[in-house]
Amino acid sequence: MKNKTLIYCLIFLFILGFCSCKEDGEYHSIKDKIENEGKPYHGKLTSDQLLMDSELIEITAGEHTFWIPERKGQIKSFACTECHNRPVAQMKGLEGQKAHWDVKLNHANSEMMDCTTCHNGEDMNNLRSLTNQNIDLNLSYKLCAQCHFSQFEDWKGGAHGKKVAGWAPPRASMTCVNCHNPHSPGFEKRWPVQFNTQKAIERKEGLDH
Amino acid sequence: MSDNKKWYSLDLGQNKQKEATASCGCGKTEGSCNSQKTELSADEFYEAAINASIGEERHRDGFEQVFDVKMDRRTAFRKLTASLLIGAGAVSTSCSAVIDNKTKEKAQIDWEEQFKGNYKLMTDEEKQGTINRLMRSYELRTGKNISMTAENAEEDVLFGYAFNISKCQGYMNCVSACVEENNQDRNSQMQYIRIHEMKDGQGFKFDNADDNYYHEVPAEGHFYMGTQCFHCDNPPCVEVCPVQATWKEEDGLVVIDYDWCVGCRYCMAACPYDGRRFNWSKPEVPENEINKNQHYLGNRMRKKGVMEKCTFCVQRSRKGKNPACVEACPTGARIFGNLLDPNSTIRWVLANKKVFRLKEDLGTEPKFWYFMD
Repeated sequence: MKNKTLIYCLIFLFILGFCSCKEDGEYHSIKDKIENEGKPYHGKLTSDQLLMDSELIEITAGEHTFWIPERKGQIKSFACTECHNRPVAQMKGLEGQKAHWDVKLNHANSEMMDCTTCHNGEDMNNLRSLTNQNIDLNLSYKLCAQCHFSQFEDWKGGAHGKKVAGWAPPRASMTCVNCHNPHSPGFEKRWPVQFNTQKAIERKEGLDH
Repeated sequence: MSDNKKWYSLDLGQNKQKEATASCGCGKTEGSCNSQKTELSADEFYEAAINASIGEERHRDGFEQVFDVKMDRRTAFRKLTASLLIGAGAVSTSCSAVIDNKTKEKAQIDWEEQFKGNYKLMTDEEKQGTINRLMRSYELRTGKNISMTAENAEEDVLFGYAFNISKCQGYMNCVSACVEENNQDRNSQMQYIRIHEMKDGQGFKFDNADDNYYHEVPAEGHFYMGTQCFHCDNPPCVEVCPVQATWKEEDGLVVIDYDWCVGCRYCMAACPYDGRRFNWSKPEVPENEINKNQHYLGNRMRKKGVMEKCTFCVQRSRKGKNPACVEACPTGARIFGNLLDPNSTIRWVLANKKVFRLKEDLGTEPKFWYFMD
């Protein structure tokens, strides 16, 4: 008998607890709310309009499928084979103007990397993976991902890199070379774009908190 | 005036609060009412206390708030005189045969704007009405056209933001993009975003941080983090507003009706994140720098004596765009998206990166997360 009462009490408490949690659609935390109310967004807002003018290609990396900007059309001197009509080794001795004088390699060090780490001297229209496979210039992220795998993971998920248009689907993300110069990928030091002179004055007068 | 038609449909009918007022009865927050405290449960007491202090205001709107109140004779006379003066002015302007139509129209618009209700209680037509008036008013005053919208929150959207501390280099492109986008006052150089330069190895020490540096960045031995309005899910600024001029929208944006704000700055004091800004002087933006794509709750021109703050660029985000700071960031440290969409990038960040929020223990539930690579 005593046992039964105890069980009833427990059931009552459980129901009470359950009801009080869900009342008014309230959640204990924003995390609960996100997880319980979340569902894939198919609303009326999309990025289609914003993406209309950009040349994009759809890629699938891991379990993520999204769009990235097309690259070959952006490279002025593509296709490379218009000049590189024979392997680089045979062109080296030739007299003539240096075409890529403006390219200074500032990526890792010379022990680790030189031009041929990424470029295929035999087939200049494609990039070259570490195992001598061809990589399309449009899919250059595959080349970068060989070493920068943690950045690649973040980029696939969307934690690294910028979106091309807005937050609304479909997702279009910048690819590596849209922000990083592949020959000198680091960001340089520079001055901030602005300075708040008013705040500086207030600070001098001791008004700042 | 209690049967005012304009706002009758918007009376949200919180009848139960009326009853609660009756049970309290004294109409004051202090004094004899306190003796009842022990008999009421915590919730009832909370209700009663609110009703006693601002009860009527919660279910009154428009004319009712002004006219249907108990007051002593002196106040009544004072208010009457003031209204008569305003009224007489308006009537003389609108009826005068000498004054041109433009002035009359301006007076008409001013009159209607003066007596419009709280934005969050407006129907869509009324919202459209007020933005039409504001656009026309701007045209009459300056001869230039602006485009103002009043999009409501989209369904199944809850905006959230993530900030990568290891990516931010302190270039401040976000700050200047924000100022240009949101028409902030140029004289006082108001900025919604602050970028704090912090010393490596000391953690978040806002006292020792510098949010107004000017040297080459990133500086040796420092890291950078940005703060702005975090659009809390449980926003203390909204709770303290005595006139309900600030509230949380369905898509999670905490917004301000600049025409309803009385400038008491309670919200500024209540915000634990220094997210709110006050217009101490009349905000001024050179005509050629004004962003003319505006939203009622966003970057439309403010006036002296009202609060403003980051709205996650409501004029952009409700059109599917990213806020200006996200778009301007050269390092991709800023991520914006729909928290309810499991496929969104922000959800991936929350699920896969080690995220944290500022002053999480306060229970304000900011929708602004920090993370590192």
